[in-house]
Amino acid sequence: MIRTWLNIFVAMIMLSAGVFSSSAQARSIPPLEGLEVLRKGFSGLTDFTADITQEKRLSLMKRNMSMTGKVRFKKPDHFFMEINPPYNSKMVLIDSVIEMAGGPEGKRNRIVLPPDQGLGHWFAKLLAPVTTLPDGVQILVDISGSLYTLTVTPQGKGQVKELTVSFLSDGTIRRLIILERNGDKATMTFKNLRRNIGLTEREFRLDP
Amino acid sequence: MLTKSAMRLLIITVILSFQAACSMVRPALDYRPGATVDTLSAAISMSVTTAENGMSGSGFMVYRRPDQLHLVMLSPFGTTMLEIFSRGEQITLLYPGSSTAYVGKIADLPEKGGLQGWRLMRWVMEAAPAASASTNGSFERTGAQGTVEKVTYENGLVTEKSTRDGEHVYYSRYTVANGVPFAAELLLMNSKDERIRIVLDEPEVNTPLEDAVFKPQLSGIKILPLSELRGL
Repeated sequence: MIRTWLNIFVAMIMLSAGVFSSSAQARSIPPLEGLEVLRKGFSGLTDFTADITQEKRLSLMKRNMSMTGKVRFKKPDHFFMEINPPYNSKMVLIDSVIEMAGGPEGKRNRIVLPPDQGLGHWFAKLLAPVTTLPDGVQILVDISGSLYTLTVTPQGKGQVKELTVSFLSDGTIRRLIILERNGDKATMTFKNLRRNIGLTEREFRLDP
Repeated sequence: MLTKSAMRLLIITVILSFQAACSMVRPALDYRPGATVDTLSAAISMSVTTAENGMSGSGFMVYRRPDQLHLVMLSPFGTTMLEIFSRGEQITLLYPGSSTAYVGKIADLPEKGGLQGWRLMRWVMEAAPAASASTNGSFERTGAQGTVEKVTYENGLVTEKSTRDGEHVYYSRYTVANGVPFAAELLLMNSKDERIRIVLDEPEVNTPLEDAVFKPQLSGIKILPLSELRGL
């Protein structure tokens, strides 16, 4: 479960930080090329912050939930996410340690991941050029005007059926969609994304 | 992580705060006496606390009287982390991330791990208002499941129930939908220092619910007995 979260998170960070060349016509680009452009775009990133809207569609219950909040990221391995009331929660991930506070009482949880599942380990992989596609996934990258769409389809029977990200050519992410195998869909929309603003350690704590 | 003594202090604080809130004079709600919650669906914010650990999060729940419940807990990124289905004595805990479901009887839930409270959910959901909106005070009665319980009413609404076995449930933040009163906040405590606190948001009361809502989708899912479950 934690590994699934991390996979989603890494994809989100990479894609929200990426800088892509613009295109006047709708076209597909080779997935390897797309990933390499993404990696290069990420290399110019130190940190970022953004407002988010998170929507959940529950297929079985035919209901939707909507939440708002903010996210922050700082290289090499810091991530912060805060959801506003009434679903208030906070999560700080520093390499392999996840701390969360949420629920009606702000109950805290602490989870320590194995070192090889830490955030630093994942992002260290981005130092080298991408020469092969990841195993077990199909990746498509489309460009339509200034809007890029990247779709990742895992080949297995895991929880995530499809992950789609929409972003602008200047690297501004617009939307992350996670389609689950049970038909549920989680959509995270980003606004007011600011890059390289000098975030400090203080902004990655559960307590202000 | 909180120490056990700190946790007890927290519990006492919550109880005292709650009792203080309950003792305040509040205006009576305008509802239909005797109206019951037959179905309920709502977004939820929930905390589960045990003597050893705890978890919290947001999600969604649907309930159909008398004993059908489907609860979804979400991960921080909005994906489904855990689904709990219960109907009668049967319960299924489905973890989509590992494609695993634990199936069995509610009575077979592990002793530890914050799951004991689920044994009481049917009892918790039985909180129909009194026949008269002027009913106040505490009374001992035998509940629908044959459990001897002490019930406290305020303006005809149940604010507290307890059993001789040390289980307590507190009902607060009452509101009315379609003439039916229901508590938007529940605090369930048992004799093992376990607590479940649930706050409801955007509730829909007594709207039709399809049977499929209460049936777990187990195609492609590895099914294990509850005895192999190690907490939430």
